Amino acid sequence: MHAQTVRLIHLKQVGPDCHLLKFDCPEVANQARPGQFVHLRVTAGCDPLLRRPFSVMRTNPAEGSFEVLVRVVGRGTEMLAQSQPGSEFHVLGPLGNPFELSGPEGDVVLVAGGVGVAPLIFLATALHESERHRYVRALFGAGTEDDLCCWLELSGVCDEFTAVTEDGSAGETGLVTDFLPEQLDRGAGCVYACGPRAMLAEVARQCQAAAVPCFVSLEQWMGCGVGACLGCVIPTRASGVGRYQRVCKDGPVFDAAVIDWEAMRGGCGPG
Amino acid sequence: MAAGRVDLSVDLAGLRLVNPVLVASGTFGYGTEYADLVDVSKLGGIITKGITLQPREGNPPPRICETPAGMLNAIGLQNPGVEVFICDKLPALREFGIPVIVNIAGETADDYVALAARLSECEAIAALELNLSCPNVKQGGMHFGIDCALTRTVVGAVREATRLPLITKLSPNVTDIAALARAARDGGTDALSLINTLLGMNVDIRRRQPTLANVTGGLSGPAIRPVAVRMVWDVADAVDLPIVGMGGIMSAADALQFIMAGATAVAVGTANFVDPGVTGRIIKDLAVFCEEHGVARIADLIGAAHSEESR
Ligand SMILES: Cc1cc2nc3c(=O)[nH]c(=O)nc-3n(C[C@H](O)[C@H](O)[C@H](O)COP(=O)(O)OP(=O)(O)OC[C@H]3O[C@@H](n4cnc5c(N)ncnc54)[C@H](O)[C@@H]3O)c2cc1C
Ligand SMILES: Cc1cc2nc3c(=O)[nH]c(=O)nc-3n(C[C@H](O)[C@H](O)[C@H](O)COP(=O)(O)O)c2cc1C
Ligand code: FES
Repeated sequence: MHAQTVRLIHLKQVGPDCHLLKFDCPEVANQARPGQFVHLRVTAGCDPLLRRPFSVMRTNPAEGSFEVLVRVVGRGTEMLAQSQPGSEFHVLGPLGNPFELSGPEGDVVLVAGGVGVAPLIFLATALHESERHRYVRALFGAGTEDDLCCWLELSGVCDEFTAVTEDGSAGETGLVTDFLPEQLDRGAGCVYACGPRAMLAEVARQCQAAAVPCFVSLEQWMGCGVGACLGCVIPTRASGVGRYQRVCKDGPVFDAAVIDWEAMRGGCGPG
Repeated sequence: MAAGRVDLSVDLAGLRLVNPVLVASGTFGYGTEYADLVDVSKLGGIITKGITLQPREGNPPPRICETPAGMLNAIGLQNPGVEVFICDKLPALREFGIPVIVNIAGETADDYVALAARLSECEAIAALELNLSCPNVKQGGMHFGIDCALTRTVVGAVREATRLPLITKLSPNVTDIAALARAARDGGTDALSLINTLLGMNVDIRRRQPTLANVTGGLSGPAIRPVAVRMVWDVADAVDLPIVGMGGIMSAADALQFIMAGATAVAVGTANFVDPGVTGRIIKDLAVFCEEHGVARIADLIGAAHSEESR
């Protein structure tokens, strides 16, 4: 884990409210694994005060850079989107537990919702480059065609790719989870998912019914990002002190089977 | 005078700190969480996350929410309980070689007494901080800290159960914090720490419900600093006990405000989240300030704003 000031070297708008930011940072470029995130301070001032977490979308160890895909949802992300190449940001990372690459045998199914595609692009890239040849099928859902940010980056590293939009402007029409049953019917070794909570809950439900291992990347508002404040917890099925686990340290990637999805529905935190 | 020769050490109720910069309870875990990023051994001391007799699972999420220049938290004292603390956390804490101040919380006076007695059997604990002021648990916590008679009783009972230095942490959610400070003194506390978080609330207007699952939470960060400085000032006037000042400290300049208002030491909380390197910088900048202002010992600045001569 590193703490340092890094330079924004490139910034590109890739959707109506999505921006791809590339930072010069050899440490994160070399060490980050798919599923890990960086905790970024968006201003040196006191407002917004807290850092903002973003999944690493891609690394380029040769260039010593990493990229994050940022969707503008509030002040912090707006400030990032408005920043100029050359600006400096303080970053902590890489943080959290990565996806387990050596999952069970069989095809890998990726389910991405909106900007949740970011860690899955990193994961698919790593699977694509790994010696152990795994057949990767990806489902990527968003509201409209324009919201399918970076879909080329995902489809380029998958063996099969299905886009799904709610309004039918691209790919299949509906919710991305409408198309998961047929993927599971074909058989799958393991499912990895990242996106809105409701989507993840449905993915988890279907995987459990089909007895397919499922790993999800979760979000929660964060304080420290390093496991110290106990602010970023999500409910698990365990009882007692193990019930609430930290997204920053015990996650953000969790086995979907340990999550208490019923309690998650109670509106506990983002999306 | 070179910055390296400025004497930053202070005496906190018999506890010698090499510098006055501590980390505040609940914001630095048990030390190890930050060990990759911070040279913990350089801190004046560490105050650990609140410990209870039995393990506590804490409050449901969301537990935190950002506010202008601050944040609300309602962790609900999630902790593994005192026995696991002693077995699993204390050995690593001891390795840092700095004073370890253990923050304890209970639902009854007996809880505090039992915790104090148990922890007194351990080596490597420098002091106890009595959290009489947690706003985020239903029983105990703040319930004690807003009542003078109860405060005096609890502090007195703990006083009899341990020989460790006692630091009583006061709640800011009261009309007259000086009265509580006197009650804690009468109970026999060796020092006071303040402030804990200010009770606050945020409403999620999109969901039309409180943002925090606990409804209310404790406000911390730069937003509360002026309130905290004022309270340290009032308490320093009211009692003749060393004070650990905290609330929104982000820099050496902030820390100096507390020291000059009467604090012997300071604790850095929320700022650790924003910048893990903040404590190291504060320690360095305190020395620089002293050097630039011809101050040989930082202890000479304690309460400096109170003296008529300094006006
Ligand atoms: C591990 C992790 C990885 C993430 N990866 C990405 C990513 O790759 N790309 C991306 O665009 N976003 C990602 N997020 C979400 C991102 O951190 C938030 O969108 C961001 O912090 C919002 O900051 P803001 O100041 O713009 O919004 P604020 O003004 O703070 O809030 C605006 C809205 O955003 C919501 N929000 C605030 N904090 C979060 C949060 N932590 N998660 C979700 N919603 C939040 C609030 O409910 C509010 O409605 C990730 C979050 C986590 C925990
Ligand atoms: C996430 C969080 C957890 C906290 N947990 C505790 C605790 O367990 N016991 C306690 O006495 N104070 C606790 N506090 C209060 C801090 O120790 C400190 O009194 C307060 O945050 C004010 O300082 P700050 O503004 O520098 O953060 C906590 C504060 C935060 C932000
Ligand atoms: S953000 Fe502090 S424990 Fe996760």
